[in-house]
Amino acid sequence: MISVQGLKKQYKNAVVLDVEELQIPKGECFGLVGNNGAGKTTLFRIMLNLVRPTGGGVLLDGMDVSKTENWKSRVGAFLDEHMLLSYLTPDEYFETLRKIYKLSVEDLKLHLEKFQELFNDEIQGKKKYIRDLSKGNLKKVGIAAAMLGNPEVVMLDEPFENLDPSSQVRLKKLILQEKSDRQVTFLISSHDLNHVTEICDRIVLLEKGKVIKDLQEKEHMVETLNSYFGT
Amino acid sequence: MVVELIRLELLKTIRSTAFAKSALVAVFLAFLAVLLLGYVLALGLFLKVIIEKGFEKEDAYATLSSFLVFFFLFEFIYRYFVQKLPVIELERFLHLPIKKSRIIHFLLGRSFVSPLSLIALLLFTPFAFQEVGPRFGSFAAFSWLASVCLSSWSLHWLMLWFKQKFEDSWKGLAVIFGILLLTSGSTYFGWFNLGDWVKPLFDWSLVSAIPVICLFGVFLGMYYLAYKFYYQNAYLEDLMEEEQVRFVNQEFGIFNRFGLAGELANLEWKLIIRHKKSRTYLMLAGFFLLYGLIFYANPQYKTEQGFNHLFVFVGSFITGIFMLQYGQLFLSWNSANFDFYMQKEGGLEALVKGKYLLFIGTSVICFLASVPYVFFGWEILLIHIATFLFNVGVIIHMVINLALWKPKPMDLNKGAMFNYEGVGVAQFLMIIPMMGAPYAIYLPFALIFDQYVGLLALGVVGAAGLVAYPYLSKIAVRKVMANQYEISSSFRQEL
Repeated sequence: MISVQGLKKQYKNAVVLDVEELQIPKGECFGLVGNNGAGKTTLFRIMLNLVRPTGGGVLLDGMDVSKTENWKSRVGAFLDEHMLLSYLTPDEYFETLRKIYKLSVEDLKLHLEKFQELFNDEIQGKKKYIRDLSKGNLKKVGIAAAMLGNPEVVMLDEPFENLDPSSQVRLKKLILQEKSDRQVTFLISSHDLNHVTEICDRIVLLEKGKVIKDLQEKEHMVETLNSYFGT
Repeated sequence: MVVELIRLELLKTIRSTAFAKSALVAVFLAFLAVLLLGYVLALGLFLKVIIEKGFEKEDAYATLSSFLVFFFLFEFIYRYFVQKLPVIELERFLHLPIKKSRIIHFLLGRSFVSPLSLIALLLFTPFAFQEVGPRFGSFAAFSWLASVCLSSWSLHWLMLWFKQKFEDSWKGLAVIFGILLLTSGSTYFGWFNLGDWVKPLFDWSLVSAIPVICLFGVFLGMYYLAYKFYYQNAYLEDLMEEEQVRFVNQEFGIFNRFGLAGELANLEWKLIIRHKKSRTYLMLAGFFLLYGLIFYANPQYKTEQGFNHLFVFVGSFITGIFMLQYGQLFLSWNSANFDFYMQKEGGLEALVKGKYLLFIGTSVICFLASVPYVFFGWEILLIHIATFLFNVGVIIHMVINLALWKPKPMDLNKGAMFNYEGVGVAQFLMIIPMMGAPYAIYLPFALIFDQYVGLLALGVVGAAGLVAYPYLSKIAVRKVMANQYEISSSFRQEL
């Protein structure tokens, strides 16, 4: 589904990302971990064509993401609040997305129903702009927006950060559900090793922009990661 | 501790994005400030002469003193628009182990260091020593000047309190409007002369120090008023009010016919209404619709045949003001959510096209609203039609393409007055083609043939631009697409 080849990102002399090869098959839940500044967000941004790589490229089903645009409706993402329209209320925001993705009112309703438990009655029907929401609620809006329009790939940067414990559990359930129902490919970066090892089939460890570990076996993931992070 | 706070304040000024990112803009602004203060000083130096010769009043002192109250009322109004509130800084100090009273004293004191505080001093000091001193003695000169300056500085504190309490509410606007009416109305209709009521106070200050002491008391009292208000409300939630959702369903229905671009034009409209900076721009556009009254109604600009060449400029200003002002910061308005558009299929193209739609829409509204100027003559309507066509056909592309030169991020929740966030060299240089272009087309035809031929040429070129719209708008779209990585990475930086 996604294939990264010879990817390099350099700011002046500092190499922030250097990934030789990475293949992510369809339906995989791909976890990305690493210390601060390891290049996780940069990798996501390059995959979304928000940042131009210095060398190499990202292919989505064989198409270079920087050459075409029609892959964009098949990929949903929430990296940070720059990807939201924070001056709208959540309801207006979803309505706007519905028009952009050309969905029916019913589609949107069905989609949001899946999120009822996660939203916990705090998001919809409130007269509050997104910019005034708490960080956790803002994240929930972003995640729901990223999954809108039946995307084949969903990229989430630190989805568990700022969420309360029960919301974290609900989000995990949602991700697993989507994965088994529709074969969605998830790309998730996280500092929460427990969550990410629980839901992901594969975890890649980045250090200073390089892939230093590619873990595919569930049993050894936790152990290896714990010894790496010293936890 | 205070020294440390002052040091931080200096660092903030030097490193603030508006200054650090563009040295040229900083130099220009400093130059502008010095120039304006220089004008004030020059006006002060010639004040005596102006009153005596220009207005043919014999007693310059008496005239000025009875006029002083209007100066203060006027000062109240410009302070309302220009003066900045120190609360934005409060946020970064509140959590530190510094006494709250000290923080607030510091912030209030800091706000006093401003060119605004110099205006009264620069304007009236020369007068005090040219007129008041020689006539009433040097004590009178100092005492009079002190009363005037203390009154002006009391307004500084009063405004800090007033603006914090009433800004962005209809009450504040009502007071301002009332003051405007009072100043112009009362004297004009001769109900009462406000100036004569206040004059005795300043007359008294010539012979006694009591008014100075009293005004100093007022000065301290106003300071205390501001201090107390800020002290009591020094909580984040009190000073930074959450906005209620307003105008929820206000949309331009007609935009819905233009697909994704129309949808984004509607979004942009919501953005304008829901942010302070853009709201001010919108209000200014409405205000500038009245601009024509100054020129069209003025007999000074009447010509025996045809119309004044200057009217072409006035017309293009009236029909395109919003486009010119809002458009010069073209993409900076979306700096907080540029990634959103980048990540959507065809998002950037629709964003640019949506803005085109919005600009054309507002120009149409401005044009329609300016139709009543036909009262001053049919030629005015013709001028407006020609300049309107030229604006939407040609100028719009010039504004947008120039604005795409290194766009900068900005925070939309700050006020618009004297806020140079997002402003770069391009925004200043833009003025030249904006003012020059209509004349480049109009003047040759007007001078060789006839003024109306000049207007026709302007209209025809504009219409041609409209016909070529699909092609011309693609230039801007292509430019945004080509620079999307640079633009988005500069927008992602912290302000």
